[in-house]
Amino acid sequence: MMPESYRGQLRQRVRRRAFTLLAALVAIPLLASGAAANDVEVRRAADAAERTTWDSVFSAAQAERGQSAYKDACARCHRESMAGADEAPALTGSAFMSAWNGQTLGDLHERIRTSMPTDTPGVYGRQQVADVIAYMLQFNGYPAGAAELSKESDALKEVRFVAGKP
Amino acid sequence: MISHSFTSRSRCTLLAGVLLAAPSLLHAQRAAGTPFTTAQGEWPSHTGDTKGTRYSPLDQINAANFSSLEVAWRFKTDQLGPRPEYKLEGTPLMVGGVLYTTAGTRRAVVALDAVTGELLWMHSENEGERGAAAPRPLSGRGLSYWTDGKSARILYITPGYQLIALDAKTGVRIRTFGDSGAVDLKKQMDTPVLPDLTTGEIGYQGAPVIGRDVVIIGAAFREGGSPKSYRNNKGDIRGFDVRTGKKLWTFHTIPRKGEYGYDSWLNNSADDAGNTGVWTQITVDEELGLVYLPVESPTGDYFGGHRPGNNLYGESLVCVDLRTGVRKWHYQIVRHPIWDFDLASAPILADITVGGKAVKAVALPTKQGILYVFDRVTGVPVWPFEERAVEKGEVPGEWYAPTQPIPTKPAAYARNGVTLNDLIDFTPALKEAGLAVASRFKLGPIFTPPVLSKADGPLATLSNGPTNGGSNWPGGSFDPETHIVYLAATNASPSPLGLVVPAKGVSDMNYVRGFAPPPGGGRGGASMSVQGLPLLKPPYGTITAINLDNGEFVWQVPHGETPDAIRNHEALKGLTIPRTGQAGYSGTLVTKTLVIAGDPEVTTLAPRARSAVLRAYDKATGKEVGGVTIPAPQSGSPMTYAVNGKQYIVVAVSGGPYSGEYIAFRLPNANSR
Repeated sequence: MMPESYRGQLRQRVRRRAFTLLAALVAIPLLASGAAANDVEVRRAADAAERTTWDSVFSAAQAERGQSAYKDACARCHRESMAGADEAPALTGSAFMSAWNGQTLGDLHERIRTSMPTDTPGVYGRQQVADVIAYMLQFNGYPAGAAELSKESDALKEVRFVAGKP
Repeated sequence: MISHSFTSRSRCTLLAGVLLAAPSLLHAQRAAGTPFTTAQGEWPSHTGDTKGTRYSPLDQINAANFSSLEVAWRFKTDQLGPRPEYKLEGTPLMVGGVLYTTAGTRRAVVALDAVTGELLWMHSENEGERGAAAPRPLSGRGLSYWTDGKSARILYITPGYQLIALDAKTGVRIRTFGDSGAVDLKKQMDTPVLPDLTTGEIGYQGAPVIGRDVVIIGAAFREGGSPKSYRNNKGDIRGFDVRTGKKLWTFHTIPRKGEYGYDSWLNNSADDAGNTGVWTQITVDEELGLVYLPVESPTGDYFGGHRPGNNLYGESLVCVDLRTGVRKWHYQIVRHPIWDFDLASAPILADITVGGKAVKAVALPTKQGILYVFDRVTGVPVWPFEERAVEKGEVPGEWYAPTQPIPTKPAAYARNGVTLNDLIDFTPALKEAGLAVASRFKLGPIFTPPVLSKADGPLATLSNGPTNGGSNWPGGSFDPETHIVYLAATNASPSPLGLVVPAKGVSDMNYVRGFAPPPGGGRGGASMSVQGLPLLKPPYGTITAINLDNGEFVWQVPHGETPDAIRNHEALKGLTIPRTGQAGYSGTLVTKTLVIAGDPEVTTLAPRARSAVLRAYDKATGKEVGGVTIPAPQSGSPMTYAVNGKQYIVVAVSGGPYSGEYIAFRLPNANSR
């Protein structure tokens, strides 16, 4: 069950996209030379049904790679149990879920990529960070699917972290 | 390891014009010779005073108006280091109309106009590799202020473990202090820091505490569950002259050969053992000239087989002389520490009246949710401690203390052990699911020892205290007028105490923290949640008021909104669940009438948008009397001050996607509409 206000946000988002789609359809015939930009708009608008972390957004193989990276890079502070320790916040449980509920995986990816690990931030590339996120999602009970989680910002921003099971 | 020459680039930005316009600094000079106090509306030391109280008698903000507080200013900390920080834990100081604090990933120091938040100056040290190798990086918890009546200084400790003295007016280094304004704290250790000054593991993220011109420096290390070696650097505590930076004394938290307590480490194991520092705030009684050191665990949080014996002064409260560092008394809270029950909170100095007799007491909040109360002159417990027989474990090579001291009073204010009665029981189905999760673990009361992790069970011993339970670095608050202590505590943060043989090349310890790999191969791991719900039952976090004149609870309330994950959970639909509170660190501030603390988590509860809440409780009853939203959890303990007749509350917020920010609140102008 997702929070009521969050449902509201989703509905708004879907409506906004529907409007963009309409606008794009009207605009294309008029502005043939602007087609490239509008193509992007159309593709985005066509994908109006937003994906969330419940939509099997990573693969089991990716999560396994992520577990390996997690153990090497993250577990010394956040622990294998993801419970955190004195200095490192938990990556599971209520505080973690509430902190990220409603944010996108793009936010989470950027947060990890730019600030972790604290002694050598930035040493892990986009792919490794995406893999670690896949493992974090799996650990927290999200379903795996066939496709891997992308390492690209635009794609990651299209996936919303939703704490409660829909 | 190659030794790198240590270079430091220090920067200080003085924002021209501002200082001349700041009347507060003139005020600071007028007040020369008089110590600043919270009674005057200042906040001159990390906990308000050097006594660990986090108390101010200000009363303009009260139950009737708390909810009408407005943001006076915000100070975002992103640009103070090479990247934003998401873990801002500082509590600022306020002296003479200027707010001083640490912030940013390089632990910069900033001076802000206390009324507007305008940046007056900024100082930071680029410590290069040495900073990057710091065991306790990031912005730290604060700094200290000192004045001789003529000039004023700000002192802080860098991530790379240098003590820096700055001119409070300009932020420029005091050239006559130490080596051009800095003391290299990795030097002048009685046992050299290894392997070298750049990577040698030792640091401190707390605020140095200053008592009577002596600066006392703590010592901290990396997390100790899986150390690389049972040999490590030693966490000696030192005092320095605040005027010159000259070292005055060293206290050996691990006794050297011939010193008292050395024989509490069998097989001369004190020689190899390290850690055993003080990573939290240190407390000073300036009148008595005494320092109270809450000492952490020796090397190896959960396995002590390389250090048989009680291991003084591991997890001991030690009282030393402020001038000389000579030990006056000590009490070992946990014998032979193997639970990671570091003494994590500043000891609180409390002048109380017990049985009609005045007692100068020291009260120590702990991870295990027990408040240990002593006469702070003699070290004798105010209420007797019982010597309780505890379970002997079966980890090969471990040495077990047969008994542990437990105070007869006050009662524990947070859950510590985990038994079947502590498990989730919202519904019969959830109770069953909780029992299934718990069946993989060993349960038991406080001091149930860690186990060797086995894939078919037990994976680990469960205990609430060790990592995030009970009280931690935010500590508690004490009201010197009513003699009531206020303690925020985490009540549902189980830690798995499981040991495994370390992988080859990872550690020379016989055992380190971990889970046995699952039977089918691969890596071990175990979630302690039950369908996304906490394994332990609510309340998840509380604030407790304890009257120190009689050791009795005055009140206890859940602190923090019920988390979204609980309120919106499918399996809990239709149930009425009283406010659960939240697990997490919540520092408290006590004023004339209120206890103030922010939520450790954000929630979304209509009509309020997604946010955390800074809450006020009637300090006499625990009744919630007001709240204002903050955009992210409270991540540092709040403080308060008054300038030009207006009271302010400043709190550090950060966490998850929200980077560090200090937010100042004050009441709207009387004539504003």
